[in-house]
Amino acid sequence: MRRGRSTWNRFIRPAIGRAYVRIKGGNREPSWILWEIILPMIMIASVIWAYENMGAPPIFKGFVILGGAMMSYWYNVLWGMGRTLYWEKETGNLELFLLSDSKLPGLLLGMALGGMFNTSIRSLAVILLGVYVFKAQFILDTVPIALLIFFLTLVALYGLGLGLSGLHVVYGRMGVRINEALDEPIMFLSGQYYPITSFPLLLQYIAGLLPLAIGLDGVRRALLLGEGFNQLYLHVIILMVLTVVFYLLGLRMLNKLVEIGRRDGRLILRWL
Amino acid sequence: MQPAIETVKLVRVFSSPQGEFRALDEVSISVPNGIIYGLLGPNGAGKTTLIRILATLLLPTSGDAYVGGFHVVKEASKVREIINLVSGGERPGYGILSVRENLMYYGQVYGLTWSETKRKIEELDSLLDLSDFLDKRLNRISTGMMQKYALARGLINDPEILFLDEPTLGLDVNNARVIRRIIKSLVEKGDIKTILLTSHYMAEVEELCDYISIIDRGRIIAHGTPDELRKMVEKEIIYDVDIRLRDVDRINFLKRLDSVIGHTVKTRQLTGEARIRIILSSEDIGRIIRRFEDEGVHVLRVTRSEASLEDVFLKLVGKGIGDEEG
Repeated sequence: MRRGRSTWNRFIRPAIGRAYVRIKGGNREPSWILWEIILPMIMIASVIWAYENMGAPPIFKGFVILGGAMMSYWYNVLWGMGRTLYWEKETGNLELFLLSDSKLPGLLLGMALGGMFNTSIRSLAVILLGVYVFKAQFILDTVPIALLIFFLTLVALYGLGLGLSGLHVVYGRMGVRINEALDEPIMFLSGQYYPITSFPLLLQYIAGLLPLAIGLDGVRRALLLGEGFNQLYLHVIILMVLTVVFYLLGLRMLNKLVEIGRRDGRLILRWL
Repeated sequence: MQPAIETVKLVRVFSSPQGEFRALDEVSISVPNGIIYGLLGPNGAGKTTLIRILATLLLPTSGDAYVGGFHVVKEASKVREIINLVSGGERPGYGILSVRENLMYYGQVYGLTWSETKRKIEELDSLLDLSDFLDKRLNRISTGMMQKYALARGLINDPEILFLDEPTLGLDVNNARVIRRIIKSLVEKGDIKTILLTSHYMAEVEELCDYISIIDRGRIIAHGTPDELRKMVEKEIIYDVDIRLRDVDRINFLKRLDSVIGHTVKTRQLTGEARIRIILSSEDIGRIIRRFEDEGVHVLRVTRSEASLEDVFLKLVGKGIGDEEG
């Protein structure tokens, strides 16, 4: 029996274990190619053709393709964590996990990592299809800063996901409704198909609270406009701040919600 | 010596818009080390609530509970290091993974390295005989295999104290027997120090447990060794009366007879018969049989029986343990 486990052991080992489950689960059937690459590509293609017909500059193709690729992280990482945790509760896996004394954020990290891996395969496919089918062009010199911004965006999404996942555990289907209610405003504010600089200033400030909006804008500027660290350092700083703030708030919210779950019996209640 | 598990006036109240429900009402038990302790009661008696509190998954409304000497609320983390829980009828894990992969996952959850987990799975294989289905997908194994796997998962961290919540629920007779044999051997061989087992199967508790508490409506109504409990009905007279199934509706008069402490009905659809177990405070079977005949009930057989735990429950509660299942 392993006694006095370190925080690292209680955090990282379940994360690795759960990531494996998510990766295997996400790719168990080849139908994901249809759902997550072909169907999103139809949506992306329709927007690209709309821009072409309006005579928009070719750079807009890249905007749309990167937007489509990164938006799937919002669904598959952030809400994927919440939905999967809800499923874990309903199947009884969550209570078994909690009595192991492993860290719940570790389990959620595993879900996020698995989700990131699966989504990255899909996003890469979307980008490659965009390059070869729609002849979208990207500047490769600024890939390192784009990757840094991309990485920080994912970490911030994980922090945000910690707290929102707790909603799924304690409030069950209500958490799913909150997820759905937030979808459209998030898509609108994140600038999936257009640059957020086209918003009025107030909306740009609100969008600035969303890691996805900042990350998407930064990655686009790097890969489409060739902007480097000197132009994008503010994006990096904002994302680092959002990462810390969301992680701390998310962790606090998750712990509080789990405590409410233990107090009210919601952790062991099914079909909530 | 410090008990393995101890509860002191433990209360748990569930609130809902319909009102409050007192699932546990001042439950005090003390479970010594090295035994299988049975918690016997009908569905809804509070057994699972008690186990969930002891496993730190649910907070008590009031009272205290200690597992391995650690307080379940204030020292939940230390409690979790020495326990595990296996519930009957549950299918924990991931259907898309094989049994081996699921056990590997739980090894990770308990902080074991890959090699430690692999070694542990080999140990569990020899203990529980998992080899036939170790590499089958979890969603393709039978109920009996699932319960063996659930036990393996419960032993992956070498717990000092194992909670078994209705471990043979939904299993056929043969598989239930296999699981009971394994449970008994766990404590005998010293693999597990202490087991707290809940069940509403009398025979299971009687066969496995060294000490038993009977719980009903959130209260412990009796406790002792199986022999001590059986002694509670040693002065009573117990009969099994077999009648035709269609006459079952005509035996309500038993409730009005002073000499009848309680009775249970077990129906046998295949033979079209019903067995009425009657506990009497005095030898009155002749008068009762005459009443049966007066009511038009055809008596097939009358047998004097030895006292069992079921009779203890019947005496204490006035009805059988399965009678609330409806």
